[in-house]
Amino acid sequence: MKPSRRNLLALGGGAMAGVVFTPLPWKLLDDTAIWTQNWPWIPQPARGPVEVKAAACSLCPHGCGLQVRMAAGFPVGVSGAPAHPVSGGALCPLAFGAHQLNWHPRRLHEVRRRGRAASWDAASMALRAAAAEGPVAVIDGRPGRGASAILRDFAGKSGAYITAPGPEERSLAPYAAWSGVPASALGYDLESARTIISFGAPLLDGWGTPGRFTRLWSTHAAGLGDPELRLIQIEPGLSHTATLAWRWVPARPGSDAALAAGLARVLVEERLVPAKGPVPATSVADAAGAAGLPADAIVELARMIAQRAPALAISVDGEPAVAALNLLLGGGIVQRRETAAPQAAAIAPRAVVIDATVPWEYEPASGAEVFRFAAWDGGGSKADWLLPAPGFLEEITEHPSAPGSAVASYALSPALMDAPADVRGAAAFVGGTPADAVLARCQEIFRARNGGLYRRGAKDAVPLASLESAARLQDELLAGAVWVDDPAGSRKVRCELKEWPAAAAGTHRGGWADAWSAPVLPPLATKLYQESNLREVPARSRI
Amino acid sequence: MKKRRYGMVIDLDRCTGCGACSVACAAENNVPPAAPRATERTGITPLRVQPVSNGASGPARREVFIPLMCMQCGEHTPCVSVCPQQAVEVDSATGIVTQMPQRCLGCRYCMTACPYHARYFNWWDPEWPAGMEKTLNPGVATRMRGVVEKCNLCHSRLHAAEDKAAAANQREVNPADYVPACVEACPTGAILFGDLADETSAVARAARAPQAFRLLEKLGTEPKVYYRSNRPWVRALAEPRTVPAKEVQRG
Repeated sequence: MKPSRRNLLALGGGAMAGVVFTPLPWKLLDDTAIWTQNWPWIPQPARGPVEVKAAACSLCPHGCGLQVRMAAGFPVGVSGAPAHPVSGGALCPLAFGAHQLNWHPRRLHEVRRRGRAASWDAASMALRAAAAEGPVAVIDGRPGRGASAILRDFAGKSGAYITAPGPEERSLAPYAAWSGVPASALGYDLESARTIISFGAPLLDGWGTPGRFTRLWSTHAAGLGDPELRLIQIEPGLSHTATLAWRWVPARPGSDAALAAGLARVLVEERLVPAKGPVPATSVADAAGAAGLPADAIVELARMIAQRAPALAISVDGEPAVAALNLLLGGGIVQRRETAAPQAAAIAPRAVVIDATVPWEYEPASGAEVFRFAAWDGGGSKADWLLPAPGFLEEITEHPSAPGSAVASYALSPALMDAPADVRGAAAFVGGTPADAVLARCQEIFRARNGGLYRRGAKDAVPLASLESAARLQDELLAGAVWVDDPAGSRKVRCELKEWPAAAAGTHRGGWADAWSAPVLPPLATKLYQESNLREVPARSRI
Repeated sequence: MKKRRYGMVIDLDRCTGCGACSVACAAENNVPPAAPRATERTGITPLRVQPVSNGASGPARREVFIPLMCMQCGEHTPCVSVCPQQAVEVDSATGIVTQMPQRCLGCRYCMTACPYHARYFNWWDPEWPAGMEKTLNPGVATRMRGVVEKCNLCHSRLHAAEDKAAAANQREVNPADYVPACVEACPTGAILFGDLADETSAVARAARAPQAFRLLEKLGTEPKVYYRSNRPWVRALAEPRTVPAKEVQRG
């Protein structure tokens, strides 16, 4: 039979119809799915030996212990260091993506003067010229470091050394004023408290060291009808902390001072606490009116507070009336055994140098020429000079006592990767040698011989006396050990309070993004904000 | 090697809704930063934390934070039964519901079938800012546009633990060597993880406790993710909603 055109078309059509019933199209689709896994533009993880190194998080002053997984010389994962004496293995959500920050699009790689590229020499000359014309203020976000001593010495020559307090230190400001001890050396004795009255402090949402209060709460309070540790949250809205608290008291915004005074009045009048110090003039009825609560509720709340002592009152704003209530309840404020940063006298500086440890939002209240160190450009800066600083894990960082902690501590974090070529820190810029300053701080601790050294993963401390030298102490610290003072070294603070304090206008209500010095968030955290309804997007730069 | 049934018990009374588990999960599994147009459903969130309230108002109002991920169904697994490509299977050795992106065609039947909305489609190619790809976890391959993914209980960590056990000439994995990233990250220790088949394990004991419950248990898919709470209203969230008699009469 001679094949015809009709036969050819029938064969073609039959073949096309038949192939649908064979595995071929599915195999082709399957193979396409496999091939497209390997397009050249799909990023592939780097290969290389994986090792775990000890470090500490430098993005807020709490210095949580990290375990950093390294592959091919780069950090590929971060987790909490178990049994860390400061953070107890816990981290805030931001820390889990912090290793990606050094490649954030807003990373600073060059000196900028009012938005234009400049040089280190030009910045140095500008600072020298400014110093010749008037005083220079240096602002440090983490006092107590060896590098802080360099900044303090530089400022001491012709200006003022100023510290930028974080949320915990701001809440301790009234005690600093009444005791004369700088807030940077004060802390809360949370561990001894059995009732905590929080006036808006986000205790379970990033206030303080992540592993400190949350661990206490999860062990002694979470899910219990009558917990060993009672958390009473006084706050207008249902925050994360309020919803998890033993009792939530929805008082009106701005009524903290009146409510604290009303509670104090009941405590004294009903002799629920030993009468000491001044008594507020505010009546319970006035307090109830201001707070929008029934007077009975205030009386009941005061009785509840007195029921399980010791009680500790914490105000997120540093509200003096709350601090006075706390003193009436017995205090719970301790002074750590360490050299506190001196409080500077107010000056009108010609120039201001802001260290990279100061949160981006900080703005000095002056018309001075501002030299701002930062690893990332947060945008909207009023700084005249933007000076690129080393980023996350790019330099040896020091971690003095966490703000608000009850015991002094000191840790070092090694540089786990190379910093870009043209970056430097404020201490080096003003002429200091940070490496020498770190060793000097280690010598200071070694000479005092207080406390002990918690090696990586160890639950018990090694006495400092067992080390042969300060250099050895530094090596141990760089390997992941943490020096912690003897708790007996901290002492209760004595405050002189002559009259019940007037209310102060509070403004700070921030959670765990508040103390971050970086103006950007890890991209994975921005993802968390974008795709979950857990919390609002904070005012930080996103990718 | 004995058969295992990996699962977890999440203590909802201890969850503060911080989101550390969510970020740690994304970092561990090389989830890229969300595309600008990504939404709650089009982005990739193998583990998300959902706040749910008790419905009350005023001081009586309370919320609970529920971490949601693949529930690792053990029976009649909906995603397995609908996949035309056999890209999803229940690993008989571990009980983990695995997802193989190499086989996935992107038909998204599994997403429709999943009663927990625990599956996500890659609508975009994975992209990181220049240089950030150096920080990717070498144990996990990136997934390209057009495939579905979900929580696989950090399978790469299981492989590493199995390799370690084999190198030490041991048949069984040391439980301390296999801990998913979310469990490791939880600052309050709210997530208990382990082998549910081991009756003596802490996770198996916690799963048997009267306070433990599972989501949509009535579907009979035997999830291996349990939750626990001392609060009755939280436990009631997982129970079938009963329609009041008045509503039934009204039709």
